[in-house]
Amino acid sequence: MVARRKLKARGKPTTSEADAAAARLSSLFGPPLLLEGEDAAAYDQLLARVCEAVKPVDIIDEMFIANIIFLEWQVWRWRRLKLSLIQARGLEALKSFLIEQIDYDSYSEHLTRDLTDILRDNLPEDEAESAETLLHRYGQDKSDAVDKVNKILEENGQDIDHILNDAKAKKAKELVQEYMQREPGAVTEVDELLSNAGMSIDTLMANALAEKLNDVERIDHLATIAESRRNASLREIDRRRAALGETLRRSVQGIEHAELKLIETTTPKGKSAA
Amino acid sequence: LTSDCKINANRANARASTGPRSAAGRTRSARNALRHGLSLAVCCNPTFSEEVETLAREIAGPSANAETHELACRVAEAQIDLLRVRRARHQFLSDTLSDRYYDSLANVRKKATAIRHFVRPNAPEMPLEVLAKFVASTPQGPDKFALILSQESKQLTAMDRYERRALSRRKFAIRALDEARRLAGAVRSEQDPKAPFSG
Repeated sequence: MVARRKLKARGKPTTSEADAAAARLSSLFGPPLLLEGEDAAAYDQLLARVCEAVKPVDIIDEMFIANIIFLEWQVWRWRRLKLSLIQARGLEALKSFLIEQIDYDSYSEHLTRDLTDILRDNLPEDEAESAETLLHRYGQDKSDAVDKVNKILEENGQDIDHILNDAKAKKAKELVQEYMQREPGAVTEVDELLSNAGMSIDTLMANALAEKLNDVERIDHLATIAESRRNASLREIDRRRAALGETLRRSVQGIEHAELKLIETTTPKGKSAA
Repeated sequence: LTSDCKINANRANARASTGPRSAAGRTRSARNALRHGLSLAVCCNPTFSEEVETLAREIAGPSANAETHELACRVAEAQIDLLRVRRARHQFLSDTLSDRYYDSLANVRKKATAIRHFVRPNAPEMPLEVLAKFVASTPQGPDKFALILSQESKQLTAMDRYERRALSRRKFAIRALDEARRLAGAVRSEQDPKAPFSG
Protein backbone atom coordinates (compact mmCIF):
# COMPACT_ATOMS: atom_id res chain seq x y z
CA MET A 1 0.00 0.00 0.00
CA VAL A 2 2.83 2.37 0.92
CA ALA A 3 4.57 1.63 -2.35
CA ARG A 4 1.39 2.35 -4.32
CA ARG A 5 0.90 5.67 -2.56
CA LYS A 6 4.48 6.57 -3.37
CA LEU A 7 3.92 5.58 -7.00
CA LYS A 8 0.84 7.80 -7.12
CA ALA A 9 2.52 10.70 -5.43
CA ARG A 10 5.47 11.04 -7.76
CA GLY A 11 5.60 11.02 -11.52
CA LYS A 12 8.26 8.49 -12.38
CA PRO A 13 9.03 5.72 -9.92
CA THR A 14 12.62 4.96 -9.07
CA THR A 15 13.97 1.43 -9.37
CA SER A 16 13.65 0.92 -5.61
CA GLU A 17 9.98 1.91 -5.82
CA ALA A 18 9.46 -0.55 -8.63
CA ASP A 19 11.20 -3.17 -6.50
CA ALA A 20 8.89 -2.36 -3.61
CA ALA A 21 5.88 -2.68 -5.91
CA ALA A 22 7.23 -6.00 -7.09
CA ALA A 23 7.65 -7.15 -3.48
CA ARG A 24 4.07 -6.12 -2.77
CA LEU A 25 2.84 -8.18 -5.73
CA SER A 26 4.71 -11.19 -4.40
CA SER A 27 3.19 -10.74 -0.95
CA LEU A 28 -0.31 -10.38 -2.43
CA PHE A 29 -0.29 -13.11 -5.03
CA GLY A 30 2.40 -15.46 -3.79
CA PRO A 31 5.95 -16.18 -4.90
CA PRO A 32 6.73 -16.48 -8.64
CA LEU A 33 5.97 -19.87 -10.14
CA LEU A 34 9.37 -20.74 -11.55
CA LEU A 35 10.46 -24.14 -12.76
CA GLU A 36 13.82 -25.65 -11.90
CA GLY A 37 16.63 -23.89 -13.73
CA GLU A 38 14.66 -20.70 -14.41
CA ASP A 39 16.28 -17.40 -13.51
CA ALA A 40 14.55 -15.78 -10.51
CA ALA A 41 16.57 -12.58 -10.96
CA ALA A 42 15.32 -12.22 -14.55
CA TYR A 43 11.76 -12.69 -13.31
CA ASP A 44 12.21 -9.96 -10.67
CA GLN A 45 13.71 -7.67 -13.28
CA LEU A 46 10.72 -8.21 -15.58
CA LEU A 47 8.36 -7.54 -12.67
CA ALA A 48 10.14 -4.31 -11.73
CA ARG A 49 10.19 -3.14 -15.36
CA VAL A 50 6.48 -3.79 -15.89
CA CYS A 51 5.61 -2.11 -12.57
CA GLU A 52 7.66 0.90 -13.63
CA ALA A 53 5.98 1.06 -17.04
CA VAL A 54 2.36 0.46 -16.00
CA LYS A 55 2.43 2.38 -12.68
CA PRO A 56 -0.41 0.56 -10.89
CA VAL A 57 -3.02 2.84 -9.36
CA ASP A 58 -4.95 0.25 -7.37
CA ILE A 59 -4.98 -3.40 -6.44
CA ILE A 60 -6.92 -4.35 -9.58
CA ASP A 61 -4.10 -2.89 -11.69
CA GLU A 62 -1.68 -4.91 -9.60
CA MET A 63 -3.71 -8.03 -10.33
CA PHE A 64 -3.45 -7.35 -14.04
CA ILE A 65 0.28 -6.69 -13.73
CA ALA A 66 0.83 -9.97 -11.88
CA ASN A 67 -1.16 -11.68 -14.62
CA ILE A 68 0.80 -10.01 -17.43
CA ILE A 69 4.11 -10.96 -15.86
CA PHE A 70 3.04 -14.55 -15.30
CA LEU A 71 1.89 -14.85 -18.91
CA GLU A 72 4.91 -13.03 -20.34
CA TRP A 73 7.13 -15.42 -18.41
CA GLN A 74 5.19 -18.30 -19.89
CA VAL A 75 5.68 -16.91 -23.41
CA TRP A 76 9.43 -16.73 -22.73
CA ARG A 77 9.39 -20.22 -21.28
CA TRP A 78 7.69 -21.72 -24.34
CA ARG A 79 9.95 -19.81 -26.73
CA ARG A 80 13.05 -20.94 -24.86
CA LEU A 81 11.80 -24.53 -24.87
CA LYS A 82 11.07 -24.43 -28.59
CA LEU A 83 14.49 -23.00 -29.37
CA SER A 84 16.38 -25.45 -27.19
CA LEU A 85 14.34 -28.36 -28.54
CA ILE A 86 15.14 -27.44 -32.14
CA GLN A 87 18.76 -26.78 -31.25
CA ALA A 88 19.17 -30.06 -29.35
CA ARG A 89 17.56 -32.01 -32.19
CA GLY A 90 19.75 -30.22 -34.73
CA LEU A 91 22.93 -30.95 -32.78
CA GLU A 92 21.92 -34.57 -32.40
CA ALA A 93 21.34 -34.78 -36.16
CA LEU A 94 24.72 -33.15 -36.81
CA LYS A 95 26.40 -35.58 -34.42
CA SER A 96 24.79 -38.59 -36.13
CA PHE A 97 25.82 -37.21 -39.51
CA LEU A 98 29.42 -36.71 -38.35
CA ILE A 99 29.61 -40.22 -36.88
CA GLU A 100 28.70 -41.52 -40.35
CA GLN A 101 31.01 -39.19 -42.24
CA ILE A 102 34.21 -38.57 -40.27
CA ASP A 103 37.24 -40.44 -41.55
CA TYR A 104 39.70 -42.54 -39.58
CA ASP A 105 42.36 -39.79 -39.44
CA SER A 106 40.00 -37.55 -37.54
CA TYR A 107 39.23 -39.94 -34.73
CA SER A 108 42.41 -42.09 -34.68
CA GLU A 109 43.77 -39.99 -31.81
CA HIS A 110 40.73 -40.80 -29.65
CA LEU A 111 40.92 -44.46 -30.60
CA THR A 112 44.62 -44.68 -29.69
CA ARG A 113 43.99 -42.96 -26.37
CA ASP A 114 41.07 -45.22 -25.45
CA LEU A 115 42.93 -48.40 -26.40
CA THR A 116 46.07 -47.32 -24.54
CA ASP A 117 44.00 -46.68 -21.40
CA ILE A 118 42.38 -50.13 -21.63
CA LEU A 119 45.73 -51.85 -22.17
CA ARG A 120 47.43 -49.94 -19.33
CA ASP A 121 44.64 -50.93 -16.95
CA ASN A 122 44.77 -54.58 -17.93
CA LEU A 123 48.41 -55.39 -18.64
CA PRO A 124 50.45 -56.82 -15.78
CA GLU A 125 52.21 -54.09 -13.77
CA ASP A 126 55.65 -54.79 -15.20
CA GLU A 127 54.30 -54.57 -18.77
CA ALA A 128 52.09 -51.51 -18.26
CA GLU A 129 54.70 -49.17 -19.71
CA SER A 130 54.76 -51.17 -22.95
CA ALA A 131 51.10 -50.44 -23.77
CA GLU A 132 52.10 -47.93 -26.48
CA THR A 133 54.55 -50.39 -28.02
CA LEU A 134 51.96 -53.14 -28.03
CA LEU A 135 49.45 -50.81 -29.63
CA HIS A 136 51.97 -49.73 -32.22
CA ARG A 137 52.59 -53.36 -33.14
CA TYR A 138 48.83 -53.96 -33.16
CA GLY A 139 48.52 -51.11 -35.64
CA GLN A 140 51.14 -52.79 -37.83
CA ASP A 141 48.99 -55.95 -37.75
CA LYS A 142 51.65 -58.11 -36.01
CA SER A 143 49.87 -61.35 -35.22
CA ASP A 144 51.21 -61.74 -31.65
CA ALA A 145 50.19 -58.16 -30.76
CA VAL A 146 46.78 -58.60 -32.41
CA ASP A 147 46.19 -61.81 -30.44
CA LYS A 148 47.28 -60.25 -27.18
CA VAL A 149 45.14 -57.11 -27.60
CA ASN A 150 42.10 -59.15 -28.68
CA LYS A 151 42.54 -61.43 -25.68
CA ILE A 152 42.66 -58.46 -23.28
CA LEU A 153 39.59 -56.93 -24.90
CA GLU A 154 37.72 -60.22 -24.78
CA GLU A 155 38.56 -60.69 -21.12
CA ASN A 156 37.05 -57.26 -20.46
CA GLY A 157 33.91 -57.99 -22.45
CA GLN A 158 34.84 -55.44 -25.12
CA ASP A 159 35.54 -55.59 -28.82
CA ILE A 160 37.41 -53.34 -31.18
CA ASP A 161 34.29 -52.28 -33.12
CA HIS A 162 32.67 -51.02 -29.95
CA ILE A 163 35.77 -49.02 -29.01
CA LEU A 164 35.98 -47.69 -32.59
CA ASN A 165 32.37 -46.49 -32.46
CA ASP A 166 32.97 -44.89 -29.07
CA ALA A 167 35.98 -43.01 -30.42
CA LYS A 168 33.95 -41.86 -33.44
CA ALA A 169 31.14 -40.67 -31.17
CA LYS A 170 33.58 -38.81 -28.91
CA LYS A 171 35.21 -37.08 -31.87
CA ALA A 172 31.81 -36.21 -33.36
CA LYS A 173 30.66 -34.74 -30.03
CA GLU A 174 33.86 -32.72 -29.75
CA LEU A 175 33.44 -31.42 -33.31
CA VAL A 176 29.81 -30.44 -32.68
CA GLN A 177 30.78 -28.48 -29.56
CA GLU A 178 33.59 -26.71 -31.39
CA TYR A 179 31.26 -26.01 -34.32
CA MET A 180 28.73 -24.45 -31.94
CA GLN A 181 31.47 -22.22 -30.55
CA ARG A 182 32.27 -21.30 -34.16
CA GLU A 183 35.90 -22.43 -33.95
CA PRO A 184 37.31 -21.92 -37.45
CA GLY A 185 38.94 -25.37 -37.75
CA ALA A 186 35.77 -27.21 -36.74
CA VAL A 187 33.56 -24.99 -38.92
CA THR A 188 35.71 -25.70 -41.98
CA GLU A 189 35.81 -29.44 -41.28
CA VAL A 190 32.05 -29.74 -40.71
CA ASP A 191 31.16 -27.54 -43.71
CA GLU A 192 33.46 -29.63 -45.89
CA LEU A 193 31.88 -32.88 -44.73
CA LEU A 194 28.40 -31.46 -45.29
CA SER A 195 29.17 -30.19 -48.80
CA ASN A 196 30.83 -33.53 -49.69
CA ALA A 197 27.55 -35.22 -48.75
CA GLY A 198 25.58 -32.65 -50.77
CA MET A 199 24.01 -31.15 -47.65
CA SER A 200 24.08 -27.95 -45.65
CA ILE A 201 23.56 -27.22 -41.98
CA ASP A 202 20.13 -25.74 -42.85
CA THR A 203 18.97 -28.96 -44.53
CA LEU A 204 20.15 -30.93 -41.54
CA MET A 205 18.31 -28.61 -39.12
CA ALA A 206 15.17 -28.67 -41.28
CA ASN A 207 15.18 -32.48 -41.32
CA ALA A 208 15.64 -32.51 -37.56
CA LEU A 209 12.78 -30.04 -37.12
CA ALA A 210 10.47 -32.19 -39.23
CA GLU A 211 10.89 -34.97 -36.68
CA LYS A 212 9.77 -32.67 -33.86
CA LEU A 213 7.08 -30.77 -35.73
CA ASN A 214 4.27 -31.96 -33.46
CA ASP A 215 6.12 -30.85 -30.35
CA VAL A 216 7.00 -27.50 -31.90
CA GLU A 217 3.38 -26.93 -32.91
CA ARG A 218 2.18 -27.79 -29.41
CA ILE A 219 4.66 -25.37 -27.85
CA ASP A 220 3.69 -22.65 -30.36
CA HIS A 221 0.05 -23.15 -29.43
CA LEU A 222 0.84 -22.72 -25.73
CA ALA A 223 2.81 -19.56 -26.47
CA THR A 224 -0.08 -18.18 -28.55
CA ILE A 225 -2.56 -18.83 -25.72
CA ALA A 226 -0.29 -17.07 -23.22
CA GLU A 227 0.21 -14.14 -25.61
CA SER A 228 -3.50 -13.66 -26.25
CA ARG A 229 -4.27 -13.77 -22.51
CA ARG A 230 -1.48 -11.28 -21.82
CA ASN A 231 -2.86 -8.96 -24.51
CA ALA A 232 -6.34 -9.28 -23.03
CA SER A 233 -4.96 -8.12 -19.66
CA LEU A 234 -3.25 -5.17 -21.34
CA ARG A 235 -6.55 -4.24 -23.01
CA GLU A 236 -8.31 -4.42 -19.64
CA ILE A 237 -5.75 -2.02 -18.14
CA ASP A 238 -6.36 0.36 -21.08
CA ARG A 239 -10.11 0.10 -20.62
CA ARG A 240 -9.84 0.81 -16.91
CA ARG A 241 -7.51 3.76 -17.50
CA ALA A 242 -9.91 5.19 -20.08
CA ALA A 243 -12.87 4.76 -17.71
CA LEU A 244 -10.87 6.29 -14.84
CA GLY A 245 -9.89 9.22 -17.07
CA GLU A 246 -13.51 9.73 -18.11
CA THR A 247 -14.74 9.63 -14.50
CA LEU A 248 -12.05 12.06 -13.40
CA ARG A 249 -12.92 14.41 -16.29
CA ARG A 250 -16.59 14.32 -15.36
CA SER A 251 -15.79 14.89 -11.72
CA VAL A 252 -13.61 17.91 -12.56
CA GLN A 253 -16.32 19.26 -14.88
CA GLY A 254 -18.85 18.86 -12.05
CA ILE A 255 -16.65 20.81 -9.66
CA GLU A 256 -16.07 23.57 -12.25
CA HIS A 257 -19.80 23.77 -12.94
CA ALA A 258 -20.56 24.08 -9.23
CA GLU A 259 -17.92 26.83 -8.84
CA LEU A 260 -19.48 28.66 -11.77
CA LYS A 261 -22.97 28.43 -10.19
CA LEU A 262 -21.53 29.75 -6.94
CA ILE A 263 -20.00 32.74 -8.72
CA GLU A 264 -23.24 33.38 -10.66
CA THR A 265 -25.34 33.32 -7.49
CA THR A 266 -22.95 35.57 -5.53
CA THR A 267 -22.30 38.19 -8.31
CA PRO A 268 -25.83 39.76 -8.45
CA LYS A 269 -25.72 40.32 -4.69
CA GLY A 270 -22.45 42.18 -5.10
CA LYS A 271 -23.93 44.19 -7.99
CA SER A 272 -27.05 45.17 -5.94
CA ALA A 273 -24.85 46.16 -3.05
CA ALA A 274 -22.87 48.35 -5.37
CA LEU B 1 -32.13 -60.31 -19.11
CA THR B 2 -30.28 -60.94 -15.84
CA SER B 3 -31.56 -64.02 -14.10
CA ASP B 4 -32.93 -63.92 -10.55
CA CYS B 5 -30.15 -66.18 -9.48
CA LYS B 6 -27.52 -63.72 -10.73
CA ILE B 7 -29.32 -60.75 -9.18
CA ASN B 8 -29.39 -62.52 -5.81
CA ALA B 9 -25.70 -63.43 -6.09
CA ASN B 10 -24.80 -59.83 -7.00
CA ARG B 11 -26.75 -58.51 -4.03
CA ALA B 12 -25.10 -61.00 -1.68
CA ASN B 13 -21.67 -60.02 -3.01
CA ALA B 14 -22.47 -56.33 -2.68
CA ARG B 15 -23.50 -56.85 0.93
CA ALA B 16 -20.25 -58.66 1.61
CA SER B 17 -18.02 -55.93 0.18
CA THR B 18 -18.90 -52.62 1.71
CA GLY B 19 -15.55 -50.94 1.18
CA PRO B 20 -13.11 -49.83 3.84
CA ARG B 21 -14.29 -50.09 7.43
CA SER B 22 -11.79 -48.10 9.46
CA ALA B 23 -12.07 -44.32 9.66
CA ALA B 24 -8.64 -43.92 8.07
CA GLY B 25 -9.58 -46.27 5.23
CA ARG B 26 -12.84 -44.43 4.63
CA THR B 27 -11.03 -41.08 4.63
CA ARG B 28 -8.50 -42.38 2.15
CA SER B 29 -11.08 -43.95 -0.14
CA ALA B 30 -13.13 -40.75 -0.03
CA ARG B 31 -10.24 -39.13 -1.88
CA ASN B 32 -9.97 -41.88 -4.50
CA ALA B 33 -11.62 -39.85 -7.23
CA LEU B 34 -9.78 -36.64 -6.33
CA ARG B 35 -7.40 -35.58 -9.08
CA HIS B 36 -6.57 -31.94 -8.52
CA GLY B 37 -9.68 -30.67 -6.74
CA LEU B 38 -10.00 -27.74 -9.13
CA SER B 39 -13.66 -28.41 -9.86
CA LEU B 40 -14.49 -27.50 -6.24
CA ALA B 41 -15.32 -23.86 -5.61
CA VAL B 42 -12.75 -21.93 -3.57
CA CYS B 43 -15.34 -21.24 -0.88
CA CYS B 44 -15.39 -24.99 -0.08
CA ASN B 45 -11.86 -24.74 1.26
CA PRO B 46 -11.47 -22.80 4.55
CA THR B 47 -7.90 -21.68 3.70
CA PHE B 48 -8.98 -20.27 0.35
CA SER B 49 -12.08 -18.68 1.88
CA GLU B 50 -9.86 -16.79 4.28
CA GLU B 51 -7.62 -15.65 1.42
CA VAL B 52 -10.70 -14.53 -0.54
CA GLU B 53 -11.97 -12.51 2.40
CA THR B 54 -8.60 -10.81 2.96
CA LEU B 55 -8.20 -9.96 -0.71
CA ALA B 56 -11.81 -8.77 -1.00
CA ARG B 57 -11.28 -6.35 1.91
CA GLU B 58 -8.13 -5.05 0.20
CA ILE B 59 -9.99 -4.60 -3.12
CA ALA B 60 -13.10 -2.99 -1.65
CA GLY B 61 -11.20 -0.60 0.60
CA PRO B 62 -12.06 0.51 4.15
CA SER B 63 -15.18 2.57 3.36
CA ALA B 64 -16.90 0.12 1.01
CA ASN B 65 -20.62 -0.41 1.12
CA ALA B 66 -22.24 -3.87 1.05
CA GLU B 67 -22.66 -3.88 -2.74
CA THR B 68 -19.01 -2.98 -3.40
CA HIS B 69 -17.88 -5.57 -0.90
CA GLU B 70 -20.01 -8.21 -2.59
CA LEU B 71 -18.55 -7.34 -6.01
CA ALA B 72 -15.03 -7.27 -4.55
CA CYS B 73 -15.67 -10.75 -3.16
CA ARG B 74 -16.47 -11.97 -6.68
CA VAL B 75 -13.21 -10.50 -7.99
CA ALA B 76 -11.23 -11.97 -5.10
CA GLU B 77 -12.83 -15.38 -5.54
CA ALA B 78 -11.94 -15.50 -9.22
CA GLN B 79 -8.41 -14.25 -8.48
CA ILE B 80 -7.79 -16.87 -5.79
CA ASP B 81 -9.25 -19.52 -8.06
CA LEU B 82 -6.88 -18.42 -10.83
CA LEU B 83 -3.89 -18.60 -8.48
CA ARG B 84 -5.03 -22.02 -7.25
CA VAL B 85 -5.22 -23.39 -10.81
CA ARG B 86 -1.83 -21.94 -11.71
CA ARG B 87 -0.21 -23.31 -8.56
CA ALA B 88 -1.71 -26.75 -9.23
CA ARG B 89 -0.37 -26.78 -12.79
CA HIS B 90 3.02 -25.53 -11.63
CA GLN B 91 3.17 -28.24 -8.98
CA PHE B 92 2.21 -30.86 -11.53
CA LEU B 93 4.88 -29.69 -14.01
CA SER B 94 7.56 -29.39 -11.31
CA ASP B 95 6.83 -32.87 -9.95
CA THR B 96 6.83 -34.45 -13.40
CA LEU B 97 10.00 -32.64 -14.47
CA SER B 98 11.83 -33.75 -11.34
CA ASP B 99 10.72 -37.37 -11.78
CA ARG B 100 14.00 -39.09 -12.69
CA TYR B 101 12.26 -42.09 -14.21
CA TYR B 102 9.71 -40.25 -16.33
CA ASP B 103 9.54 -41.75 -19.80
CA SER B 104 7.15 -42.21 -22.70
CA LEU B 105 4.66 -45.05 -22.37
CA ALA B 106 6.12 -46.68 -25.50
CA ASN B 107 9.60 -46.69 -23.94
CA VAL B 108 8.29 -48.03 -20.63
CA ARG B 109 6.67 -50.92 -22.53
CA LYS B 110 9.91 -51.60 -24.43
CA LYS B 111 11.88 -51.63 -21.18
CA ALA B 112 9.41 -54.02 -19.55
CA THR B 113 9.66 -56.34 -22.57
CA ALA B 114 13.47 -56.21 -22.45
CA ILE B 115 13.48 -57.12 -18.74
CA ARG B 116 10.99 -59.98 -19.33
CA HIS B 117 13.22 -61.33 -22.11
CA PHE B 118 16.29 -61.01 -19.93
CA VAL B 119 14.87 -62.99 -16.99
CA ARG B 120 13.56 -65.82 -19.19
CA PRO B 121 15.32 -69.20 -18.59
CA ASN B 122 16.57 -69.51 -22.16
CA ALA B 123 17.13 -65.80 -22.71
CA PRO B 124 19.49 -64.73 -25.52
CA GLU B 125 22.80 -63.50 -24.17
CA MET B 126 22.83 -59.81 -23.41
CA PRO B 127 25.36 -58.00 -21.22
CA LEU B 128 23.77 -56.76 -18.01
CA GLU B 129 25.38 -53.33 -18.46
CA VAL B 130 23.65 -52.89 -21.82
CA LEU B 131 20.27 -53.78 -20.31
CA ALA B 132 20.88 -51.56 -17.28
CA LYS B 133 21.88 -48.66 -19.54
CA PHE B 134 18.76 -49.13 -21.65
CA VAL B 135 16.43 -49.38 -18.65
CA ALA B 136 17.98 -46.38 -16.90
CA SER B 137 17.95 -44.17 -20.01
CA THR B 138 15.24 -41.51 -19.86
CA PRO B 139 14.64 -38.36 -21.89
CA GLN B 140 16.33 -35.27 -20.48
CA GLY B 141 16.22 -31.51 -20.87
CA PRO B 142 13.96 -30.05 -23.58
CA ASP B 143 13.04 -33.52 -24.87
CA LYS B 144 11.65 -34.44 -21.46
CA PHE B 145 9.66 -31.21 -21.21
CA ALA B 146 8.26 -31.70 -24.72
CA LEU B 147 7.36 -35.29 -23.85
CA ILE B 148 5.51 -34.17 -20.70
CA LEU B 149 3.56 -31.59 -22.70
CA SER B 150 2.59 -34.24 -25.21
CA GLN B 151 1.92 -37.15 -22.87
CA GLU B 152 0.13 -35.17 -20.17
CA SER B 153 -1.75 -32.95 -22.60
CA LYS B 154 -5.14 -34.19 -21.38
CA GLN B 155 -4.53 -33.10 -17.80
CA LEU B 156 -2.78 -29.88 -18.84
CA THR B 157 -5.66 -28.99 -21.18
CA ALA B 158 -8.14 -29.56 -18.36
CA MET B 159 -6.16 -27.25 -16.09
CA ASP B 160 -5.97 -24.68 -18.89
CA ARG B 161 -9.76 -24.79 -19.15
CA TYR B 162 -10.05 -23.99 -15.43
CA GLU B 163 -7.61 -21.12 -15.88
CA ARG B 164 -9.56 -19.71 -18.82
CA ARG B 165 -12.81 -19.83 -16.87
CA ALA B 166 -11.24 -18.15 -13.82
CA LEU B 167 -9.79 -15.41 -16.04
CA SER B 168 -13.15 -14.83 -17.67
CA ARG B 169 -14.95 -14.73 -14.32
CA ARG B 170 -12.41 -12.28 -12.97
CA LYS B 171 -12.67 -10.01 -16.03
CA PHE B 172 -16.46 -9.67 -15.74
CA ALA B 173 -16.31 -9.31 -11.95
CA ILE B 174 -13.78 -6.46 -12.31
CA ARG B 175 -15.95 -4.78 -14.94
CA ALA B 176 -18.99 -5.02 -12.65
CA LEU B 177 -17.01 -3.59 -9.74
CA ASP B 178 -15.65 -0.73 -11.87
CA GLU B 179 -19.13 0.06 -13.17
CA ALA B 180 -20.61 0.08 -9.66
CA ARG B 181 -17.84 2.40 -8.49
CA ARG B 182 -18.33 4.66 -11.50
CA LEU B 183 -22.06 4.95 -10.83
CA ALA B 184 -21.47 5.53 -7.13
CA GLY B 185 -18.90 8.24 -8.00
CA ALA B 186 -21.32 9.91 -10.43
CA VAL B 187 -24.10 9.96 -7.83
CA ARG B 188 -21.73 11.36 -5.21
CA SER B 189 -20.47 14.10 -7.50
CA GLU B 190 -24.07 15.09 -8.34
CA GLN B 191 -24.99 15.26 -4.67
CA ASP B 192 -21.81 17.00 -3.55
CA PRO B 193 -19.77 18.38 -6.46
CA LYS B 194 -16.88 19.38 -4.20
CA ALA B 195 -16.54 15.89 -2.73
CA PRO B 196 -13.15 14.38 -3.55
CA PHE B 197 -13.18 11.72 -6.22
CA SER B 198 -12.81 8.15 -5.06
CA GLY B 199 -12.82 5.18 -7.43
